[in-house]
Amino acid sequence: MNITTRLVTALAALALFAGAAMAQTCEVVGEAPMLAERVAAGDLPPAAERIPSNPMVLAVAEEIGTYGGEMLDLYDGSRLAEFRQFGYEGLVRWNTDGSEVIPNIAAGWEVSEDGSAYTFTLREGLRWSDGHPFTTADIQFYFDEVAFEPYNCCNDYMLVDGQKPVVEIIDDLTFSMSWDAPNSTLLQNLATSYGVQVTQFAAHYLEQFSMKKNPEAVEALMAEDGYDDYNEWWAANVGRYGQNSEYNNPDRPLMTAWIPTAPFIGQERFTFERNPYYFKVDEACNQLPYIDFRTWSLTPDEEVRVLRTMDGQDHFCRRDVCQPPNKAVLFDSQDQGDYRFVDLTNSDHNQMLLHIKYTHDLEERAALFQEKDFRVGLSLAMDRQNVIDTVYVGQGTPHQMAPRSGPFYNEQLATQFTEHDPALASEYLDRVLPERDANGMRMLNGEPFTFNVLVNAGFRADWADVMQLIERDWEAVGLDVNVIVGSDEFARSARQGNDVDAYVWAGENGTGQLPILAADEYVPEAAYGWYAWGAENYFGTEPANPVVTPPSDIQRMIELVSLIPTSASAEVQSDRMKELLQLHADGLWVIGLAMPEGDYRVVNSALRNVPNPLIGGWLYPGPGPLNFETFFYGN
Amino acid sequence: MTNYLLRRLLYMIPTLIAVSFVAFAVITLPPGDYADTYVLAARQSGQVVTPEQEQAIREFYKLDRPWIVQYWDWTSSIITRGDFGFSFQWDLPVNELIWPRLAMTFVVSFSSLMLVWIIAIPIGVYSAVRQYSVGDMLATIFGFIGLAIPNFLFALVLMYVSFRYFGASVGGLFSPEYINAPWSFAKLGDFLGKLWLPMVVLGTAGTAGLIRVVRANLLDELKKPYVVTARAKGMRERDAIRKYPLRIALNPFVSSLNDVFVQLVSGATIVSVVLSLQTTGPLLLEALRAEDMYLAGSFIMMLSLLTVVGTLVSDLLLAWLDPRIRFR
Repeated sequence: MNITTRLVTALAALALFAGAAMAQTCEVVGEAPMLAERVAAGDLPPAAERIPSNPMVLAVAEEIGTYGGEMLDLYDGSRLAEFRQFGYEGLVRWNTDGSEVIPNIAAGWEVSEDGSAYTFTLREGLRWSDGHPFTTADIQFYFDEVAFEPYNCCNDYMLVDGQKPVVEIIDDLTFSMSWDAPNSTLLQNLATSYGVQVTQFAAHYLEQFSMKKNPEAVEALMAEDGYDDYNEWWAANVGRYGQNSEYNNPDRPLMTAWIPTAPFIGQERFTFERNPYYFKVDEACNQLPYIDFRTWSLTPDEEVRVLRTMDGQDHFCRRDVCQPPNKAVLFDSQDQGDYRFVDLTNSDHNQMLLHIKYTHDLEERAALFQEKDFRVGLSLAMDRQNVIDTVYVGQGTPHQMAPRSGPFYNEQLATQFTEHDPALASEYLDRVLPERDANGMRMLNGEPFTFNVLVNAGFRADWADVMQLIERDWEAVGLDVNVIVGSDEFARSARQGNDVDAYVWAGENGTGQLPILAADEYVPEAAYGWYAWGAENYFGTEPANPVVTPPSDIQRMIELVSLIPTSASAEVQSDRMKELLQLHADGLWVIGLAMPEGDYRVVNSALRNVPNPLIGGWLYPGPGPLNFETFFYGN
Repeated sequence: MTNYLLRRLLYMIPTLIAVSFVAFAVITLPPGDYADTYVLAARQSGQVVTPEQEQAIREFYKLDRPWIVQYWDWTSSIITRGDFGFSFQWDLPVNELIWPRLAMTFVVSFSSLMLVWIIAIPIGVYSAVRQYSVGDMLATIFGFIGLAIPNFLFALVLMYVSFRYFGASVGGLFSPEYINAPWSFAKLGDFLGKLWLPMVVLGTAGTAGLIRVVRANLLDELKKPYVVTARAKGMRERDAIRKYPLRIALNPFVSSLNDVFVQLVSGATIVSVVLSLQTTGPLLLEALRAEDMYLAGSFIMMLSLLTVVGTLVSDLLLAWLDPRIRFR
């Protein structure tokens, strides 16, 4: 194999050269008292034998910590680990500020000259939580048994023009992935929340569930467990990415810093304990994590989560609790709850985006929505500052759907038409909806016209408040608005219907290099569940509404999204992303509200090594990459 | 009598078949299925799911088959193997999810039900006998307030008060240190210390309703000639009320006992959500919201079975209580 180390497809700001772990070996390894006891009792090998010869060394934010303690969390009953607060352990990872991809389970990698082949080297002596070595056999198992099962989610980044990677196992510690064409965003994608699934499958344990490897034994086991459906049996024992079942089987070996000791589904409170074989150490060669236990309390009701946070029952608050509107009430209970405030910079770029249904089944509506003047009118009529002051307690800046900072910041895209100018808004709307009825409300082709906006208040209750204010702004320029507020399940089914003209959603992944990984979100309708535009080209399926052919701008956007990951150089990739954003700016395809600011978390007063500010996000699954394993309880 | 019982038991079979059919049909009636729920949940955590993956999820759980086929699959495995199907949300068999929660649900519901009866029946009797007295007025006021306050709101307020003024740890049935500890007197004490909250919250509304029922019925009876006769014959007031009019006044109460079985198992859903109780109510609610149809369907089947059995039991009780009611 001809692999040379060269920065080729790298994104400018990302150090994408052959990554290598900090060379540090540990002669003497510090370990937690609870593990030292087990070593003394002969239940566990000595610490130095449990960690790799080249362990991952984490720099602590403040000081070398002490072992012990139990970190309390609240659990809402949905996903336990979405990698923002637990379980962010991929082959590679983001560094703490998200600017760079660094080694994690892999000790390093090399990229071929044209960016089409990647060779990863695993750390030597890496072990699963049951002590079994982690080798390329585990990577092989993932690619053979899990990765490309149709139900498995979220690894489209591994396909280049539909081609799966050729995975070659070179030896126990080395494997390569290659394609016919470049896959220039592979490392960044592996560092996102989706990348972790590559290292979640312990072959030596999970083989017993493999129908491909031992069908007879599997059938016997299934019969014993009373299953007749293989998929169900697999899901119940192995779990699936992103589902609760992922961590429900305590026998399943993991690579995470804390591991379950009993099934947690259906428990009111459950505790994970430290992984004795965790592969990270601090700079003084103390095995991490510092904290012994992570404990979650089931709290399905959102108000009660706020109350319990005030009561100090969450040592690192959830993002749904630590929202600007709750800041005052949390502030009042600081002493009682024994917590402090830490700022959080958000990589989300927008509190709320208005996605308009350009492929509406009613042609006259579709035609109206596709007029830019209509969208400009809507945008100018919105009094964003009023919304920010009223709903977001003054925190935020008017902002369209646009990266908030970094190399892809585009001032036109970010700020255009964000001023509140009802007179100008009326002028724009007069061009497309000139007719008015006796009450001054605008009509479409002589019929009364109502603009129906769907709000999923089950996900974000603040949106219902926001839309009440915006409804008034729009009605002031003669637009009759109907805001449909519904729960998750209502929104889910109503979204596809024809009585919805637009719906609102959050804007994520708006800093640094993240927009490249989320490029598809900038194609109107592609990423938000209305697959109409772009479906045929981008997703390879029939569009939901085949009568609508995208305008040429949209066609180009769809093309760019598919070209970006296969760019042959960083400049080309960056240029394509910028072109995509410029097309977005020219069309004002999605209307944004405000850039989130003033975010914060409350953390237990005694918790140390918590960086300030924290960073939040999704593709950078912040605060996950901020090294929870280095947190400890001081005095 | 035996004949009657047998006939009633036989009638249960077609009733339950019909219920299972209707329940399943209604659960699958709303547009969309669990695959949509999956996509939405993924979307809310920031993830994008493509239409192909959505389709694959649908196939993974065999949701792409006509509902009548799914229905047949589900009912036949219940009958042949006692297997209630698989919960999509939890990736676990329904059996593993429902049974562990039943005991706790039963304890909470039973204790609040007992609280209701112990408080409501004597107060109801008192209110009727001493109609328009200060005590009756107070009981009426208390009753109507209890009836008017939504339970979940009452729960939230009580929780806030106990957090703010008593520093009690909020919600759940056990303090953190006892949740996974084995049973002991200390744990029992802690449990009883927590149980009062759901008991009171769930009890207030039920108490109010029952007070009114007992009061109204007893008032009707007290004016009837047989009561006057009993009194005229010099029967002690206590016996004159307890032996006849009270028994009749309790008729509507007893005939509504069929619901008790259901209440005992279904728990009070919203209150349980608010109080973070691991009872069955929240599980059913979530299952319905997520279109996790085997889990939801199994619950509804179980509740229906209990309703049918409960009706039979309450009919038998009624006949025992009031000899004027006869089996035919």
